[in-house]
Amino acid sequence: MSEALVASQAAGTDISVPAGSGARQFWRRLRAQRAALVAAVVVALLVLVALAAPLLTAIEGQDPFTYHPSLIDSARGGVPTGSFGGITGGHWLGVEPQTGRDLFARLAYGARVSLGVALGATVVQVTIGVVIGVAAALGSRWVDQLLSRITDIIVAMPLMIMSLALLAIVPSSFPRPLLVALVIGLIAWGNIAKIVRAQTLTLKELDYVSAARLSGWGTWRIARRELLPGLAAPVITYAALLVPINISTEAALSFLGVGVKPPTPSWGQMLTAADVWYQAAPQYLLLPAGALFVTVLALTVLGDGIRTALDPRAASRLRIGTGRKREAKADASGKKVAVDASGKNFAADADSGRSTLDPSIKTIKSADANGVKDANGEKEDPA
Amino acid sequence: MRQPSIIARRVAVASVSLAVAAGAAACGPKDNDAKGSGGDSTPHKGGTLTVLNSQPQEDFDPARLYTSGGGNVPSLVFRTLTTRNRENGAAGAKVVPDLATDTGRPNKDATVWTYTLKKGLKYEDGTAITSADIKYGIERSFAAELSGGAPYLRDWLVGAADYQGPYKDKKGLSAIETPDSRTIVFHLNKPEGEFPYLATQTQFTPVPKAKDTGTKYEQHPISSGPYKVVSNQNDGETIVLERNTYWSTATDAERKAYPDKIDVKSGLDSSVINQRLSSSQGADAAAVTTDTNLGPAELAKVSGDKELAARVGTGHFGYTNYIAFNPTVAPFNNVKVRQAISYAIDRSSVVNAAGGSSLAEAATTFLPNQKSFGYDPYDLFPAGASGNAAKAKELLKEAGYPKGITVTLTHSNDKDFETSPEIATAIQDALKKAGITVKLQGLEINDYKDKIHSVKTEPGFFLAHWGADWPSGGPFLAPIFDGRQIVKDGANFNTGLLNDKSVNAEIDSINKLTNLDEAAKRWGALDKEIGEQALTVPLFHPVYKRLVGKDIKNVVISDWTGVLDISQVAVK
Amino acid sequence: MSGFGGFVLRRGIGTVITLFAISVIVYVVFFVTPGNVAQITCGPRCSPEQVHQVAQQLRLDDPLYLRYWHFLQGILVGQDYSTGTSVEHCSAPCLGLSYQGDQQVTQLILAKLPVSLSLVFGAMVLWLILGVGTGVLSAWRRGRFTERLLTGITLAGVATPVFVIGLVLMIVVCGQLQLLPFPQYVSLTDDPEQWAWNLLLPWLSLALIEAAAFARLTRASMLETLAEDHIRTFRAYGVGERSIIGRHALRGAFAPIIALNANNVGSAVGGAVLTETLFGLPGIGQELVHAVNVVDLPVVVGMVLVIGFFVVIANAVADVLYAVADRRVVLA
Repeated sequence: MSEALVASQAAGTDISVPAGSGARQFWRRLRAQRAALVAAVVVALLVLVALAAPLLTAIEGQDPFTYHPSLIDSARGGVPTGSFGGITGGHWLGVEPQTGRDLFARLAYGARVSLGVALGATVVQVTIGVVIGVAAALGSRWVDQLLSRITDIIVAMPLMIMSLALLAIVPSSFPRPLLVALVIGLIAWGNIAKIVRAQTLTLKELDYVSAARLSGWGTWRIARRELLPGLAAPVITYAALLVPINISTEAALSFLGVGVKPPTPSWGQMLTAADVWYQAAPQYLLLPAGALFVTVLALTVLGDGIRTALDPRAASRLRIGTGRKREAKADASGKKVAVDASGKNFAADADSGRSTLDPSIKTIKSADANGVKDANGEKEDPA
Repeated sequence: MRQPSIIARRVAVASVSLAVAAGAAACGPKDNDAKGSGGDSTPHKGGTLTVLNSQPQEDFDPARLYTSGGGNVPSLVFRTLTTRNRENGAAGAKVVPDLATDTGRPNKDATVWTYTLKKGLKYEDGTAITSADIKYGIERSFAAELSGGAPYLRDWLVGAADYQGPYKDKKGLSAIETPDSRTIVFHLNKPEGEFPYLATQTQFTPVPKAKDTGTKYEQHPISSGPYKVVSNQNDGETIVLERNTYWSTATDAERKAYPDKIDVKSGLDSSVINQRLSSSQGADAAAVTTDTNLGPAELAKVSGDKELAARVGTGHFGYTNYIAFNPTVAPFNNVKVRQAISYAIDRSSVVNAAGGSSLAEAATTFLPNQKSFGYDPYDLFPAGASGNAAKAKELLKEAGYPKGITVTLTHSNDKDFETSPEIATAIQDALKKAGITVKLQGLEINDYKDKIHSVKTEPGFFLAHWGADWPSGGPFLAPIFDGRQIVKDGANFNTGLLNDKSVNAEIDSINKLTNLDEAAKRWGALDKEIGEQALTVPLFHPVYKRLVGKDIKNVVISDWTGVLDISQVAVK
Repeated sequence: MSGFGGFVLRRGIGTVITLFAISVIVYVVFFVTPGNVAQITCGPRCSPEQVHQVAQQLRLDDPLYLRYWHFLQGILVGQDYSTGTSVEHCSAPCLGLSYQGDQQVTQLILAKLPVSLSLVFGAMVLWLILGVGTGVLSAWRRGRFTERLLTGITLAGVATPVFVIGLVLMIVVCGQLQLLPFPQYVSLTDDPEQWAWNLLLPWLSLALIEAAAFARLTRASMLETLAEDHIRTFRAYGVGERSIIGRHALRGAFAPIIALNANNVGSAVGGAVLTETLFGLPGIGQELVHAVNVVDLPVVVGMVLVIGFFVVIANAVADVLYAVADRRVVLA
């Protein structure tokens, strides 16, 4: 199903339809998108392969660590002797040059590490980003200044360099995949914090939040009950983008020699080792590269789908600032009421956002200038 | 000690100070199997030689360089009292005169060495080279500003241990005398029969005091060799050398200097270098590399292509990769455990990890497998190609570990390197059969070096390597096994902490010999004797495969450096 | 404090604070990083006495705060240093001397910066063309072959590390097809034509990585605009599709694209480490990784500050352009 269609119809159709349960509505919208469904299945499969790696390799009769010197030609640099990189019934995807280790087993176990590191790092980034972003938006001017400044510093620090330094400091006994996930997570949360802050500022001005505040709710209660649901769409969407970025970051760290350590396999490490082999043993490179491509593609499509399903009106909640404007415009066209799962009325007044350019809106927009540009800020470093 | 990388390194994530010092990693045709593919293989003068390197020549100051035999690119600009013989294979492991008329005249107990300069030696500006300039060149290598060279001068010259160089101490080194402008005399604090080898190092390059600009000297070092520096940009990344018209073959029998111009381009990725050499487009047809070898993947590709294979040379350099034990750490304090591991090791796994049988030769001796080192092919704990698990288990049982043993192997996290996780992982696999479970402890390169070279923090079981400062057993065995070279509060290389009176005495005794062939035999015997203690498990000696551009002629690779000698290369 | 002057002033102060904090963090982090700097600088076989001399020479024995103070002094008033034979002056703002090569860090940065800027700005042009083009196509002509191909290429770009893309491109284009020379940096001022030919592949490799984000952003913005009522009104009035896309939908995407672009340019100045390494371009990123590995603190601090400076400046430029694009935005 074309997302463009959803988007182009969103303002008119969806809101006019009285919504059912939020979760049910979400699933309904997600199911309506075939591409997103396929992507979801692919992602599920990848996760399944990662989780079931020991089982799958047991079926194959291999493990990712055993050397098979008899399957490689030592005199020719250790290139696999069999055809197509040594593919046989016993080695479904052939063997690794130089060691003869089973490639299927390494790919499957590599999925655990790569997806695990990427997801772990994303969780850390999202957690820090949401906490800092919400706190900055809701806190006093000084809290906002302090947190925003810290965020600026984090964004301006070169990710690779700090990773190199940090990974050298921590003792080698610390579990490496966890460490890599933590380091990426702890260094690269600046952009998501900016996005969350901008989005929170937007939400804060919405009537239902103002109303809650007027009725004397505490800041944290407002944050928990009113803001977090509104943040879900942009955060989930951005997180879907972060996972592949984090996979590439892990690969880049491996390339620089500070990633996950052998013999633990990871896709990034396989790519790093395999790139020079692309002429002599192409499948060695194509396997992890293909796996990574499928993952990124699936996550991207799924991310689009989730975004559309969560918030069909603003097809891109990443562009928070304009989101606020569009929302107001959409409402201006006369459709007034939408009821979410918990029955809260969050109708926005038609004119509040559009015609009265009050100072708060201006501030928000300027904040967005920071928020918007972050769609892939971190990706720079793996370049 | 040089560290040529085995496998071409992808990123400069490594021990840069050493890698730079090498300026030589290695390879070339030992059997002269690489010849220019052109019909006429006679070398002619002229043309431009391109050098494609991965490591920039960051240090181009003769005081700061740590090279074997004067280095490669540096040796085009710097002449030294003696130099390495520029011939293929084992003949190249000989020391020959360079600026001096001979390789040195020792006194009776080899504590005083006298050299006479050839007549008519000139710098690039036409001024005469004097013995005082050589003395000054050595003195400035003692300055803290110009650190980086080998430790021998400081250790050997009388009263040099505390000397701080000519910038702080105007009096100079009294251990070096220059009775006239062509004579120079060195006074050593103990007999050193291998002094002629030391005199090949770039610290023996003449530096005119008036032209010394301290730390800036490397931007334009004054040439005494066949080429002078025309430009040196980006800290040695691109260097252009042109003929030094005051240099003459009449005073230099070693350097052929065929090309008119030499273009050094570095900072390149090693796989790109090999790709460029194999494509040989444009200027790359007349290109060589002095620091990049063929990696296993490239070897796999090249070996299937006749034209390319004909352009690959094979080189050997005195170098050993080994596992080191710290015998003060349990369970390695038990010689039976050390022996068990020596028996258990499956060297074929390790050789494969190092690039396969074409890029590494299994080692059972600590000394490199070359005649000039006094190589004696002993195998004290025969493990065969794939390990002797039964014998290892038996020894472990005797040592009190009937159910096998778990040990931790410390290695560096640098990839594509001799102490890399890949080699460590292979060792993990190589000891498995014998019931030895290996846990890996990977350290970042700087951390790793600090730890293994400090007596206080040295781990019990770790990957190590050693390369020759010159092709002899002396600089190979003494730093590692001489008990008096244990450094308690600094960088220590005697990692086995061996302080054996008879070993120390034998080292002193061999150092007195000025007959280097006789000395070599004694070093070989000493190596075997030390080997009995199983303080190391020799793993492999690297072999270097080097590709050259299609127009390159007169490829000469000596066993001294294992590197294609660019002073011999012709492009026409 | 309003208007452009106020904006510049506030951003200026913010920049100084940010850079100050960054320099402190780098100092502290590298202080606890393992690696005996004096031993690395002196050489592996240096005796303890020599190492001590080098440590004194480099002021490594000073307490951390004193070393930092010395660094600040250099920035404010410059610094004198000895080459052994003479005393040289490194004028303010002096970022100190490299431990390894005794070079002035400021000069080192000035030598590397043109390379990084050449790489980044050239790549920028390509990623904008490729990214925005793909985005427009996928919003407008979704499902067509060209659109699918371009979307696939940009996603493959995100998914594949540059050391793979770049190496394969180089082997195929330079090695096998021999269409281009193997990249080797040539200065723009020396030979503009060679500069461009040599940088084409690095530009392409870097652009491929970045293009997907632009494609997605462009597409999202355009879809949003196209969904708006006034576009429907235009359509109803029979305004041509091309005009709608070109004049209205794309204009809506203008501001966020500028914002994303500025940020990417800012961080790629020092962040394109792998691209620089692979193609042998002597830029900031490559030098920085090298400096980190030999714990060359002055170089690391200097380069990180320059990178931070570019990121901050790029952000400020983005805000200005954002304001220009949308007059309702007030610079804050």
